Amino acid sequence: MKEILKKAMERGQKALSEFDSKRLVAMAGFPVSRNDLAHSRNEAVAIAKNFGFPVVLKGCSDLLTHKTEMGMVKLKLKTEAEVAEAYDEIAGKGVQLDGVLVQEWIEGDKREFVVGLTRDPQFGPCVMFGLGGIFTEALRDVSFRIAPLSEMDADEMIDEIQTKKLLGEFRGSPAVDRAELVRALVGIGKLGLEYDEIAEIDINPLIVDGDKPVAVDALVVLAASKAEKKSA
Amino acid sequence: MDIPSQGAVYMADIRKIFYPSSIAVVGASENLFKWGSYIFTNIIAGGFGGRVFPVAKNRETIYGHRAYTTVAEIEESVDLVFITTPAVSVMGVLADCVKKGVKNVVMITSGFSETGEEGTRLEDEMIAYCRENGLSVVGPNTMGIVNTAASLYATGSQVRAPRGGISIIAQSGNVGNQIMEWAEQQNIGIGKFVGSGNEGVLGCEDYVEYFGADPDTSVVLMYVEGIDDGRRFMDAARRTSMKKPVIALKAGRTETGGRAAASHTGAMAGSFKTYEAALRQSGIILVKAPTELLTISSAFDSMPLPKGNRVGVVTLGGGWGVITADECEERGLTLPPLPDNVYEKLDRMLPPFWSKGNPVDLVGQPSMELFLESMNSMVSSDAYDAVILLGMVGAGKFVLRIHESAASMGYYSRDKLGELQQLFADHQTNFLDNIIELMEKYDKPIYPVALISTPGEEMIHYRDGSRFKAIIYKTPEEAVFCLEKQYEYYRYTSRRTTGRP
Repeated sequence: MKEILKKAMERGQKALSEFDSKRLVAMAGFPVSRNDLAHSRNEAVAIAKNFGFPVVLKGCSDLLTHKTEMGMVKLKLKTEAEVAEAYDEIAGKGVQLDGVLVQEWIEGDKREFVVGLTRDPQFGPCVMFGLGGIFTEALRDVSFRIAPLSEMDADEMIDEIQTKKLLGEFRGSPAVDRAELVRALVGIGKLGLEYDEIAEIDINPLIVDGDKPVAVDALVVLAASKAEKKSA
Repeated sequence: MDIPSQGAVYMADIRKIFYPSSIAVVGASENLFKWGSYIFTNIIAGGFGGRVFPVAKNRETIYGHRAYTTVAEIEESVDLVFITTPAVSVMGVLADCVKKGVKNVVMITSGFSETGEEGTRLEDEMIAYCRENGLSVVGPNTMGIVNTAASLYATGSQVRAPRGGISIIAQSGNVGNQIMEWAEQQNIGIGKFVGSGNEGVLGCEDYVEYFGADPDTSVVLMYVEGIDDGRRFMDAARRTSMKKPVIALKAGRTETGGRAAASHTGAMAGSFKTYEAALRQSGIILVKAPTELLTISSAFDSMPLPKGNRVGVVTLGGGWGVITADECEERGLTLPPLPDNVYEKLDRMLPPFWSKGNPVDLVGQPSMELFLESMNSMVSSDAYDAVILLGMVGAGKFVLRIHESAASMGYYSRDKLGELQQLFADHQTNFLDNIIELMEKYDKPIYPVALISTPGEEMIHYRDGSRFKAIIYKTPEEAVFCLEKQYEYYRYTSRRTTGRP
């Protein structure tokens, strides 16, 4: 984890790329969808075959903030040909990329949550949990805890959201694995407490695959380096 | 200037602040509308047992007490100094305190950081000096302190709340005073009060830690606008809440309120959601209104904790039972059905058209005997963790009013009304004593809700020698609200004690 952050700080990055963001939260114990970085069309196809179809392709760089709007996200690619075509399209945009992220496609069951890390001037790193997806902004159904979180703190914050019924059995889907979710929230809190370099984490959406919560997108925002702070 | 508070080192000193043997009031005055008079008269008239020395320039005496020009001039030892003189004079008074060997100060004086840059500079200078010289300071810009156990009433307002176990930390003196006033009206016992003011030296984290350790405090009540050192506060609050309930109102939950809070105490407002999370995570029970602070604190102070969320209800009327059932479910409490043994017992006793379930509806039979039996069966049953009683309290009043109407029409002897009134009053006392006995025997809370309550009537019933009190609730929703909060606290502490969810 240290290396990922150190490298990014040295390069003066404002955020980690999606690939690195997911690597970081995964190391902290957060379940993420399988993904790998391809640097050529053939590599992308090979990774996709390894994961099994369908897959998702995304342009990957720490500078990309509006991937979807830029046409850098290709969902639910079902064949080798579709993967190859998507790769060419993303790589051909003329944008500087770390590579193209090939990610397993998770159908999910429409249940989407959000997990975040913020920093409060009085209390320091805080973990957020809530309803994700398109209603996140409108409903603001979220709860907070101050890091470090005990497992009980995490358990209690999950129960604080209004839509907690979504975590139980839902339209034929099993209840979400609570213990896994608790571990994930505790892990995010630890990250915030241990690494001052991390300013914010935004995991949205966290979708539910069977009973498992899985992060399919993540963004780690870095704190401004000391030199930058001074000039600002 | 960033000066961290020092925590535990102040513990012994904080005790001295609340239990001084001798007090000096700097700026004491006979002008009834000066703080130097408010504080001095309140301490004397409140019945403080120790020595009290007025300190005033150019005066022989203040209210007949020999006055001193400076603190250092007082021959006897001084445990606590109240400063009421203007901000510019404070440094001189503090130097005098140090010379005299005084360690504890309550700084009523305002005109510090709450007024702007110059005030902030003065406050920083004052704080640095106090730290250097080991002075513990309440305030500045504080309403004062109270310790009923020492008959020490030293706030601006002359409120005399009765002695009890609820101790108050208020970042607004007015809010704290008003709560003590309500307590006085309702005969609810208060332990200590501190208006924390600008929290220059001692902060609410120090007070919450001290009240946690204070054997005279059973419940901590807090009015909070902002906290400077969030993490240290959480540590202190967590330690205290594992020992005794801490009930708090965090004001500034809206943007407008948040702005008002920032300008009031100068504390950083921060996000309300974060505060709420931090307080809850520390085991603090949150409420939204000042009246709720006292209501909830009084419930904790008076009754045993429910050890679960299963509620038994006994009611004189169906509608009340329905309302209570709704309130319970919405607040995460359950009304399990009657166990067989309770059902059979009640079925033998009650008229055939009784509710045959929980809530147990006595269908308007205000019979003390039936009510007592039903209450006993419900409280003694393992199926319930708490019992709500709707209507027996105040039923005497109900019957009395019928007789009053009859008497006014000449159909009942007026002479007998007095007797009847006494009889019902005795019944009610016995009934409330009975509730306290049951709470002791089964270690479960019982919440009686009055059928009728009249102005001036006692709403909290004390029984000599018992650690519990019976609170008469005005409404079912208030009773359920208290039960919900007590269960929330029980759950927080028991989960963390046993490690089991």
